[in-house]
Amino acid sequence: MPLKSLQSSFLKGTFYLSGNEASAEGAIAAGCRFYAGYPITPSSELMERMAFRLREVGGVFIQMEDEIASICAVIGASWAGAKAMTATSGPGFSLMQEAIGYAAFTETPCVIVDVQRAGPCTGQATRVGSGDMMQVKWGSHGDYQIIAFSPWSSQEMYDFTIKAFNLSEKYRVPAFVMADEAVGHLRETVRIPEKIEIWNRKKQKGIPPFGTEEADGVPPMPSFGEGERLLVTGSTHDALGYRKTDDPEVHSKLVQRINLKILNHRKEIVETEEYFLEDAEVAILSYGFTARSSLYAVKGLRKEGRRVGMMRLKTIWPFPDEKVSELGKKVRKILVPEMNLGQVAGEVKKYVTCEVISFNQTNGEIIRPEKIKEELRKIL
Amino acid sequence: MVRALEKYIRPGIKTTPFCPGCGHGILMGLILRAIDELQMDMKKMLFVSGIGCAAWIPSPHYNGDTLHTLHGRALAFATGAKLFNPELCVMVISGDGDLSSIGGNHLIHAARRNLDLKVICANNMIYGMTGGQVASTTPKGTKTSTTDEGNPYPPFDLCRLVKAAGATYVARYSVTQPVALVRAIKRILLREGFSFIEVLSPCPTQYGRRNRLDRPEDLIRDLIRRCVTEEEAEGMTDEELAEKIITGEFLA
Amino acid sequence: MTQTQQIRVSGFGGQGVVLAGLLLGQAGAIDGKYVSGSNSYGAQARGSGCKSEIVLSESPVDFPHLIGVDILIAMSQGAYDLYHGEVREDSGLILYDQDLVVPKESLKVKQIGIPATHLAIKRLKNKQVANIVFLGALIEMTRIVSPKALQKAISMHVTERFRPLNLKAFKLGIDVGREIHG
Ligand SMILES: Cc1ncc(C[n+]2csc(CCOP(=O)(O)OP(=O)(O)O)c2C)c(N)n1
Ligand SMILES: [Mg+2]
Repeated sequence: MPLKSLQSSFLKGTFYLSGNEASAEGAIAAGCRFYAGYPITPSSELMERMAFRLREVGGVFIQMEDEIASICAVIGASWAGAKAMTATSGPGFSLMQEAIGYAAFTETPCVIVDVQRAGPCTGQATRVGSGDMMQVKWGSHGDYQIIAFSPWSSQEMYDFTIKAFNLSEKYRVPAFVMADEAVGHLRETVRIPEKIEIWNRKKQKGIPPFGTEEADGVPPMPSFGEGERLLVTGSTHDALGYRKTDDPEVHSKLVQRINLKILNHRKEIVETEEYFLEDAEVAILSYGFTARSSLYAVKGLRKEGRRVGMMRLKTIWPFPDEKVSELGKKVRKILVPEMNLGQVAGEVKKYVTCEVISFNQTNGEIIRPEKIKEELRKIL
Repeated sequence: MVRALEKYIRPGIKTTPFCPGCGHGILMGLILRAIDELQMDMKKMLFVSGIGCAAWIPSPHYNGDTLHTLHGRALAFATGAKLFNPELCVMVISGDGDLSSIGGNHLIHAARRNLDLKVICANNMIYGMTGGQVASTTPKGTKTSTTDEGNPYPPFDLCRLVKAAGATYVARYSVTQPVALVRAIKRILLREGFSFIEVLSPCPTQYGRRNRLDRPEDLIRDLIRRCVTEEEAEGMTDEELAEKIITGEFLA
Repeated sequence: MTQTQQIRVSGFGGQGVVLAGLLLGQAGAIDGKYVSGSNSYGAQARGSGCKSEIVLSESPVDFPHLIGVDILIAMSQGAYDLYHGEVREDSGLILYDQDLVVPKESLKVKQIGIPATHLAIKRLKNKQVANIVFLGALIEMTRIVSPKALQKAISMHVTERFRPLNLKAFKLGIDVGREIHG
């Protein structure tokens, strides 16, 4: 509704947008021209905005019969040359998992926004949660990597959607914006800069589209209809795309490469943010909407002279293992507040030797700053 | 396969993966024949398939763009590709289990949208690839690896289903009717809108073996005997019709 | 707390609580402020405890929901009873609907009755715009956002059909605010 009057393909200036709307605008700015989706709370506003924005910019929008069809249509469109995306929430995200594995294995760029709600199952459909943080990494079968961001504001819904498209194109990998209901529905000022950096997939005729010399390379990606006679399959395949389901070496090399192409480029992909860590004894490690509460709590305690700091994970996957491990050496204790039962805290424990305290709340409500302050006081 | 059609096959491919007597190999050749007779530009053709023996008909064999997808989802992938690049001639070739069971919802919705997709369902009335389990297309009473006393449920009539859902071209032929089948494939290649051809394709390995039709020619003969045209069917009693399969163009 | 203003608009579903919050936030954004807004969602937004919350600030907003309430607009008794206790003592302000809410007398908060629903019916023949009358009065009394920005917000978020009515209601609210402020 708010932007019916705007006709430009990409907005510039300051806007007052919900996280879901901001993500849609980020997608349009990044060059997304295909959206397929299925309604689900609390992500539907994103789809609704894409429906009319894609019409304005001459892209393709389709509401599919379910989330499986949505993600499959997105992958099909991506191979036809589109920057393509879908958005969903828990139940829909679960349905998409098989095809997410397909996108990872066929190295198909695509962006998926998961506006997380309180699960499991239908759970609290209109309420906040962040229970999909592990599912996004491990939801499909087999070993693969993805890239996932965790936004804490409308601004980051915009910025991270663009980042997701850029990295997805660069590494030929599905990229995720792991929002939550609180961020999706939060309405904030979003500042859109004059210039935005956009990356597009590499195209090169006659080069094998599914293999590289390097063990961690990203091959170029042609599109259907370009005369390349593409051979795309979700079965194990060689560099040209031929099925090689009985060849142990081909399989092992391929699985290694789709993992290494992300893991070996962690440094370029991973982003974190640090607050008051110089002299901190105790740190909060936080992400998503909860990090807003965490920062408020930390600032409050700093005013009282307490030596507490914070690290915020902007990238969740690949996991910022080095940064977290450094943090573990700096502080005595790390508090990880989450709207799940300790999903990221478990990952933190893999990389630090200091004490990790998981603080969990799964009641469909945000974790308020006062609660985090209280938890911090207990361990300071 | 005749030499003339070799240019439609990916370089380096010498054999097909199908069992002796499998109808999918015949269908594979008949589709190429139709493409050849129309001199279609393979560089603009995209073949999308799901998972199963039938899904291997185009992938990797056909020398155009081929997209071998997930079990049941070929039509959803095809919808995305076609919508984004309408220049592509998109043909979906997959099995009965793939298109009508796990992918049944996509099938009726794709038909409803009447998007320009050319769908060929290779119907062997069984889950071939996974070892001959009962399918949504298996006739009542048929023995399969999961119905050893005979299938207790009636099958879908795929043509009626797809027609009711909104397809604008619907036909059924058997691989034993090559001339009519090639004509039908040519028609759907030339027309616009959702087109659906159900192709009966014998599976001696998984279907025949369990139903006293062991040898490849037994199933072929059985199909020849059972397939009748609509006109032929008109004069028949219900009893006679019970085991017949009516073939022809039901909506053109 | 002068840098940051925390405002809660409340009432029951259908009174335009969410729209009022949206317009206020949009106006703040137009004025160049940092704004965070959130509101009741789903069934709540249609029920009795509907609220819309806005944080207006000169600098980036750390925590985007309310920590305390500087200004409360209560369009129903239920909303008033639920939320009046959270308004900051001394500096806080409550605007309530004069004909729908009976305020508590003992509060250490400035409370002002606005005949918003009454005037919306009497002068504009539409009680649906009482929310906008409230916004007019609030802005005239506090200038938390500029009247111009709010008018622009109305033109952005209200469909053409209802725009003139809403602009009239806003003007009416400003007049009410001026009278009270004197
Ligand atoms: C989600 C999923 N479930 C099950 C399977 C296993 N599976 C592979 S092929 C197949 C049956 C294919 O049958 P049909 O489509 O009739 O093709 P046919 O082999 O008979 O030609 C099944 C069930 C799978 N690949 N994916
Ligand atoms: Mg079959």
